Amino acid sequence: MPVLSTQLLVIGGGSTGLGVAWDACLRGLKVVLVEQGDLGQGTSGRYHGLLHSGGRYVISDPTSACDCAVENRVLRQIVPHTIEDTGGLFLATPTDPIDFPDRWFAACQELGVSAEEITTAEALRLEPALNPRISRVFRVQDGSLDSFDLLHTLTAEIKRAGGQVWLRHRVEKLILNGNTIVAAEIRALDTDELLTIGADFFVNATGPWAGQVASLADIKVPIALGKGSMVAMATRPIHTVINRCRPSSDGDIIVPVGTVAVLGTTDVEVQQPTDTTIEPWEVDFLLAQGEILVPQLAYQRPLRAWAGVRPLYRPTTGELGETRELPRSQIILDHADRDGLQGLISVFSGKLTIFRLMAEQVMDLVCKQMNIAAVCHTAETPLTMTSRSFYKLPDRLAKLEVTTSHDLPQVVCECELVTRLAIEEALRFASTLDLDEVRRELRLGMGPCQAGFCAFRAAGIAHELAPTAPASGGLTPFLEERWRGMVPLGWGHTLRQMELTRRIYLELLQTHSLPEPTK
Amino acid sequence: MNLPLFTTDLCLKCNICTAACPVAAVTDLFPGPKFVGPQAERYRHPRLSMPDVSVDWCSGCGICSRVCPHGVAVAEINILAKGRLTKERHTPLRDQLIAHPELLGRIASPIAPVANTSIHLRPARWLLEKTIGISRHAPIPTFTRIPLRKRFRDRCFDTPLDIKHDIDHTVAFFHGCSSNYYEPELGEQTIAILERLGYEVVIPPQICCGLPLQSNGLFDAARRHAQANITWLAPFAKQGIPIVGTSTSCTLMLKHDYRTILGIRGEDVETIATSTYDFFEFLTIFVKNEINRIKFNSLHARALYHPPCKLRNHGIGAPALSILRQIPELQLHLSESECCGAGGTYGMKLEKFPVAYEVGQGLFNQISQLELDFVICDSETCRWWIAKHTGLPVYHPLEIMARAMDIQP
Amino acid sequence: MTEVLIVGAGLTGLFASLLVAERGNAVTLVAQGRGGLELSHGCIDIWGRATPSRALSRLRKSHPYRLAGTAALHAALEFFEEITQQAEYPFPGSISRNLHLPTALGAIHPTALAPQSLAQGDLFDGTPFTLAGIDNLRDFYPQLAASNLRRAGIAVQSVLDLPIPLDDTRHDFYTSDLAHLFDKSNWREEVARVWKPQLIGIKRLGLPAVLGLRDPQHVLEDLQERLGLTLFEIPTLPPSLPGLRLEVILRRRALNTGVHFIEGPRVVGRIDGRSDGRRVSGVVLQTVGGPRVHTADVVILATGGILNGGLVFQQDGRVQESVFDLPVNYDQGRGYWTTTSPLDSQPYSGYGLLVNDLMQPLDAKGAPIFENLYVAGGLLGGADRTMEGSRQGIDLATAYRAVEVALG
Repeated sequence: MPVLSTQLLVIGGGSTGLGVAWDACLRGLKVVLVEQGDLGQGTSGRYHGLLHSGGRYVISDPTSACDCAVENRVLRQIVPHTIEDTGGLFLATPTDPIDFPDRWFAACQELGVSAEEITTAEALRLEPALNPRISRVFRVQDGSLDSFDLLHTLTAEIKRAGGQVWLRHRVEKLILNGNTIVAAEIRALDTDELLTIGADFFVNATGPWAGQVASLADIKVPIALGKGSMVAMATRPIHTVINRCRPSSDGDIIVPVGTVAVLGTTDVEVQQPTDTTIEPWEVDFLLAQGEILVPQLAYQRPLRAWAGVRPLYRPTTGELGETRELPRSQIILDHADRDGLQGLISVFSGKLTIFRLMAEQVMDLVCKQMNIAAVCHTAETPLTMTSRSFYKLPDRLAKLEVTTSHDLPQVVCECELVTRLAIEEALRFASTLDLDEVRRELRLGMGPCQAGFCAFRAAGIAHELAPTAPASGGLTPFLEERWRGMVPLGWGHTLRQMELTRRIYLELLQTHSLPEPTK
Repeated sequence: MNLPLFTTDLCLKCNICTAACPVAAVTDLFPGPKFVGPQAERYRHPRLSMPDVSVDWCSGCGICSRVCPHGVAVAEINILAKGRLTKERHTPLRDQLIAHPELLGRIASPIAPVANTSIHLRPARWLLEKTIGISRHAPIPTFTRIPLRKRFRDRCFDTPLDIKHDIDHTVAFFHGCSSNYYEPELGEQTIAILERLGYEVVIPPQICCGLPLQSNGLFDAARRHAQANITWLAPFAKQGIPIVGTSTSCTLMLKHDYRTILGIRGEDVETIATSTYDFFEFLTIFVKNEINRIKFNSLHARALYHPPCKLRNHGIGAPALSILRQIPELQLHLSESECCGAGGTYGMKLEKFPVAYEVGQGLFNQISQLELDFVICDSETCRWWIAKHTGLPVYHPLEIMARAMDIQP
Repeated sequence: MTEVLIVGAGLTGLFASLLVAERGNAVTLVAQGRGGLELSHGCIDIWGRATPSRALSRLRKSHPYRLAGTAALHAALEFFEEITQQAEYPFPGSISRNLHLPTALGAIHPTALAPQSLAQGDLFDGTPFTLAGIDNLRDFYPQLAASNLRRAGIAVQSVLDLPIPLDDTRHDFYTSDLAHLFDKSNWREEVARVWKPQLIGIKRLGLPAVLGLRDPQHVLEDLQERLGLTLFEIPTLPPSLPGLRLEVILRRRALNTGVHFIEGPRVVGRIDGRSDGRRVSGVVLQTVGGPRVHTADVVILATGGILNGGLVFQQDGRVQESVFDLPVNYDQGRGYWTTTSPLDSQPYSGYGLLVNDLMQPLDAKGAPIFENLYVAGGLLGGADRTMEGSRQGIDLATAYRAVEVALG
């Protein structure tokens, strides 16, 4: 079994893990990060896209509110290319608690969360699709943040700084020497090989898997899993983040991100991090709540539904509340303190908006334990834009329009305007032929037709780049993944779209009669 | 948000419209109705400037909307996008000029002989092309000296209250710019046929329907025209008097575009929309039996009928056909083309002319292979266009009907 | 003369309109948009999973094929072959032996009848073949198709990329754009000049289906002669040329036979006249101006299934017939409609109207709802056309049966 060693091993390649690895790199540590899946397959890739202003938490979780407000400003400085400055509105409707807006506004002012009240007329001028019957409106500093872009940017930055990011590597064993963790046994999922990696320190940043990873060292982590479902609408009826101004509850936000608008979210306790099945009531509920804020949603097409699993902190001693009531702030567990186990910190809960802050706090603790004097530099170090990121409206269309006549763009995904060149680059960069990986990087197949047209084209391109790989091996899983997101919305034009996909792949292309791919 | 934009989400990307688009078929300057329509619309941020200009190549024929089985108002989305484009950029003088056929008519008709001679002179056309970009190959209509309204002063009524005769057998004629300033004989025959069939014809006050303005993206001006017409026509429509027109694009404006594209709301515009009929639509609904009893004269001729796009967009089929088919000895061929290419004022534009001409090639070829005596088409700009490029006379179907009924122009 | 109103302009509606018109009756064809032909491979699938002639007799009694009857299928095919022959776009093949055609993905498509340009690609023909893509056409990947065919044990001689003499392309082109170019003889001449040197030693060449739209058989023969080899076409993503051609042919014939097309409006209602609800004496069309009544002696409903809007699947778990709200056979509740993989059979595929062997829709008690209303094509339940490979056969047979019964 090959043995490697490093200073810090980060387990988990979501925003938190990558944030920790990046912070560690800037502090001069030797870092390896392992992730069992691809980038963005976990909770970070399954969120609604909101860059929090902090407004959402001023009443329920003031610490989170303050952290969000600060980090919102930091992220706009260091990763501006992943953020669309949509601004946000908090709307109160006549059916919401009448005293809430004033309490909420007072809390914003007290906590330093920027908010200003505007007239409903002004709000309707800004966003004509809003329900004209809203009673109060406040403007906040929300934005939308493309997490796929963020994760790719972080990964590129870590690699540039000498760190390593290993995707499709799963930690199967944590090896102890007395009461200190010294190594991890890791399986490379592509090749099924096992390898051991020794490290001076370990960070468990596996989100909803934090309990399972900790259990490899026989430690219990007080974690509860809250599944949140979201629905993306095929077009953006609004171009500002819309929040419902009432006590936190399900279905209170609409985020315009890229070409779509995301309705979020529900909160249902689940037992497994992989338990992301969406119930029909969740979809119905989200759509009904969305229509209260933006009535025209009733005429629009829900494009896709997905769920993410929030890792929440539920101390075993406290009362067992609903997952909706559990705090959203970050939890950093020092297992030396807590369980007498040296060399391991677990971090979970928190928000994507504050991933940098979480990483800073984790690394401060790591450095303290390792007696390293380095300080955090992430807040003032801008991240380099990766060449492929231009997801903001109307960039992709504008770019196509200026293409010269001799440089045929070949738009492979017509909905999300992904070009052949971008796909070829992504396939080479990712060293994989997995179309789903390309999707997460480029938004391939994420528009209205949900890859009905481009899956075939992308499979053709992938095959031309690597003719020896199993022909179109990636096509079926990619189509199935897209189908899964449409099934919860399988009625009306979404089901029509699904039927068109079947006409194309089964009747025109006869995909189901292909011989099984040979491994 | 305008109603058509609600339909963006209904697009399945199936490309039925792409394959049907006559413009995309002949030029790659236009990426197709789906591309510039429901697809590009997702990228247009209302608070940022339009990212794309390709939509300007859309000729506005409306085929895409008609062939879409999923309910997407593709053409309407594209016309709205063109409107935005015009608003954000500057409108060339040429577009301003050709968007005002009525103004041109008012200026030119008193000096019609001079105007006609000079505008059709080769050097004049050359000059128009070089200076403002009106293609010298595009047809330009001939002005009349005495507009229709002047010929029928006694039938012009400002309000239905002044009508003395039987309201149930009265129709209001929306003549449009063309029958007033360019082809008043057509208007005369319209009135004659309707009167022969027992109807009184009144001519309500009206101005240009506004389509040329709308097609050139001048929405505010088009809306002013629409408002004026709505004010003038509503009293007639509310009296239950059908509004009948012979120009298929004008009647389509009254029925559809005022509401759907210009976004005008209210009871008046609704009443006008439901009371407006294409001339032949009116005949086949209201006087079907009388028409079946008419003994048409024989018309020994070979003709091709091309129902124009704007007529097809009414969603009523081609009602003139059933009447033309009743005319003995008229050997009727049907156009196999969706569009003749003219596109209203589209084909007049120097840069658009080659595209428009190429669109029309299919029809021109069919016509030249058939050895016809004449061509029949309901829309005036299409008639002028087809005549110019085939050298054959092109008539409104009602002119053929009039001839078969012994009504002389 | 019977006045017949047909709703829907897909393969079923167009075919039915021709049957009616050519028997000397007045036909009005109303359709909101165009049908599914352009989204299809343009062949006539009758039964993909086995030899059609043998499989059909063993079907359930409620299957549309059984209801329409074998005689209707045979008569329909005969008329179809007559139409396509006369349009000079012949469909070789037969009901007693499926052709096996390559798809753009390199899978095998069993089909009964295919236009000649596709049928020449029969994989069991024995002549070696080469696959060629066209530069910059994003809808065909010959390497991928060849790999998959080879995995299935089919020999592909070689794979090529052929250039097209377009020096200035501003936007991506669709296969329909190329087809318009191939319609022109000077274009074909130029293409043949550029291609010929690259095709030495090739006897049979497979191309994406782009060879002309207006007069495809002529384009095929002309190009074969210029290149000195046998060509075959493989249908690609929509707009799929072979489907589009069939639509053009049927439409052109319908127009010339006097079928009155009303394209655009939705049928929003029904008038019963004096029949006490036993007959449909007319329909209400929602035209752009307003509702217009259209009367008829016979109404044939050919609005298709879910894809073209004949069936509407509602968020509340109901499935409705979109024109007359006729009873639909389905499972109530969204959860039942789909499965987890798009490649599996889907329960919703089998939903649709129940009819008797006269193609009359039935009420809950199994009695015909209207005396003069008939249903054909994709709107009928009881068949999973996608998995059976039976879509076009059902369309033709049921259209034939409906017209036969309606005209007495």
